[in-house]
Amino acid sequence: MKTLLKTVLIALRNLNRQKRRTFLLGGAIAFGIAIVTLINGFAGSFVENVSENFSNLLAGHIFVQGVEKTAAGKEYRTIADDGILLDIMTEQEMPVTFVSKRSEFTGSLIFQGESIRQTVVGVDWDEEQYLRERLVLLEGDFENMLVMNDRGERNGIILTEAIAEALNVELGERIIARMRTVAGQQNVGEFVLAGVSYDPGLFGQLAAYADLSYVNELLTLQPKQYQTLGIFLTDLGLIDQEAERYYEVLSQRVNVFDRAVEEDGQNPVEALFEQADEQTWTGVRYRLFTLNDVLSEVDEIVRLLNGAALVILLVLFVIIMVGITNTFRMIMYERVKEIGTMRALGMQRPRVQVLFLLEAFFLAMGGVAFGLVVAGIIMLILSRIYLGLDSAIFILLKNGYFTFTVRPLQVAMNTGIVAALTLLAAFLPSRKAALMPPVDALRA
Amino acid sequence: MSIVRLEDVHKVYPLGETHVRAVNGVTFAIERGDFISIAGPSGSGKSTILNMIGCIDTPTEGSVYIDGRPTSGLTDRQITRLRHQFIGFIFQSFNLVPVLNVFENIEFPLLLGSEVASKEERKEYVDFLIEEVDLTRWRTHRPNELSGGQRQRVAIARALVTRPQIVLADEPTANLDSKTGEGIIELMKRINRELETTFIFSTHDPSIMEIADHIIRLLDGSVIEDRRTATAGAKA
Ligand SMILES: Nc1ncnc2c1ncn2[C@@H]1O[C@H](COP(=O)(O)OP(=O)(O)OP(=O)(O)O)[C@@H](O)[C@H]1O
Ligand SMILES: [Mg+2]
Repeated sequence: MKTLLKTVLIALRNLNRQKRRTFLLGGAIAFGIAIVTLINGFAGSFVENVSENFSNLLAGHIFVQGVEKTAAGKEYRTIADDGILLDIMTEQEMPVTFVSKRSEFTGSLIFQGESIRQTVVGVDWDEEQYLRERLVLLEGDFENMLVMNDRGERNGIILTEAIAEALNVELGERIIARMRTVAGQQNVGEFVLAGVSYDPGLFGQLAAYADLSYVNELLTLQPKQYQTLGIFLTDLGLIDQEAERYYEVLSQRVNVFDRAVEEDGQNPVEALFEQADEQTWTGVRYRLFTLNDVLSEVDEIVRLLNGAALVILLVLFVIIMVGITNTFRMIMYERVKEIGTMRALGMQRPRVQVLFLLEAFFLAMGGVAFGLVVAGIIMLILSRIYLGLDSAIFILLKNGYFTFTVRPLQVAMNTGIVAALTLLAAFLPSRKAALMPPVDALRA
Repeated sequence: MSIVRLEDVHKVYPLGETHVRAVNGVTFAIERGDFISIAGPSGSGKSTILNMIGCIDTPTEGSVYIDGRPTSGLTDRQITRLRHQFIGFIFQSFNLVPVLNVFENIEFPLLLGSEVASKEERKEYVDFLIEEVDLTRWRTHRPNELSGGQRQRVAIARALVTRPQIVLADEPTANLDSKTGEGIIELMKRINRELETTFIFSTHDPSIMEIADHIIRLLDGSVIEDRRTATAGAKA
């Protein structure tokens, strides 16, 4: 024990001997760790932010849809009676904060000879607050959505900037919508442009938003019917578990599709939707999917980011390792006499090696600590900069700010990798130092 | 029994195609408590012989006995332990550990062995030695803040701290001016008397050589003289 303490002391003081060299090597290690920690930190909050932002755009964490199939083989979505669906939530005491009820169609929007295909989502504006807080309006106002026309219809519509420009339409102007009812008949509606939203353009386009009852009317659904029930939970982390629970009970009460059967490389939601094309049934069949299913590609991105971080870490450290090996070889020659002296005085070979390895270890740990502090400071600064809700990378941000989530386990892993590689780099020189015959070392 | 005995010791260094006979059939014995100088001109084999006695080098031929035991055929671990237990070293260029202060340098060998001395005991003995070599004022200074003579006094204390039977000093005065050098030898001699430690030092300086009470003179790897001086009698 006493010996080890003294060895530690000597190793530390040896590091202090060549300050410039220590700072250069330690700095290189710090740089590597800082970069990797930043990427990890970014990737760590990436899923959460993207999920959060998407959950608001998609209006839920867990989604339930009803699908009916006609004798002609046409399928259409409708939740005629959502009593069962809502009951399960309360019965099971699910941690729900809010539910959204939406219908949608994809059709052509036409204005003065210009035509464009677009998905139009019907939203219950009286109840739904989430979208109002999330959607950034460049022009117009949400209040416009509550205005009724002379037939008592709320026919306001919010288009994205790109669509509004493509149609060259201004606030208050009338847009014709050509679409099909749930039964597949042609139908025509008329919207008034109520607002223009900012579209970050990532992960596909934003939909156009209109009023639920008017969209239902065009689809020939009843005003209170809808197609997709979106459930918001208190915590994104609960999605998988709660979806499982909900599906379990749901499958006992109504007809359901299999939970997303994932095939190679296929998005689980696509796989789920294909079931409806392939199967026949009568009445309503329900399907359930989650935000995680929709964003399974995002997980892929995160894996890629973390993988890239790991590759960067390894590449950086292979370079740093070469530096460490060279430095310790140099150190060995500089201190050859010292080593010879210690050996003559009775220091055993393994201890000589330990002395070198400890020095390398402390160098690595000093570098890691410094790098973590630097990364922390950079994160702190970045997370203070307001990038705005209309920023191009808004989907990655939280309320317009960068956020970083640093997982202790990941930091521990990176630290471990650095420690292992540093020790590996110092191993050969330290071994050489230990094996040097004392008489040769002393003569040098 | 002699504390050190060399029997027909040879040391041959390969040197390119040929080889150098550094030590050529040397036989002598050193008694416990002796104060010995191994003298001779440069290249006569002084260092080579001290290294073999110090168990940091091995003879090509012949045997070295320390306290009656042969030093050949031991593992590195055993030989290192033997050095630690039996032998103290003083070097020509002091060889202190630069990152340790005077106290720590002297204490250092105590931390290498398996002996279990308490911190108090260690401190007490180190402080005793510091006083013995008159460095109390410099106790917490690092080697680069000391003069050559002071550094060599630290080295003497360090060599003594494990209470070795033998202290080897290879030209301990070569890097010092003659007055300081003599002081160092006198200090060694005093300790030799007080602690009855066997001191073996090498030198090529005749005046310093004569301070010893047993002189072994070398030339070209052979002993040309092995005698006790007048002071030896005074001691007995
Ligand atoms: N490692 C070695 N390889 C080859 N030759 C060596 C080696 N070490 C010593 N020698 C040779 O052995 C001979 C004796 O050397 P040694 O160092 O023992 O002499 P020395 O009496 O200590 O000389 P000095 O007073 O200069 O220190 C010299 O000729 C030297 O060149
Ligand atoms: Mg010599």
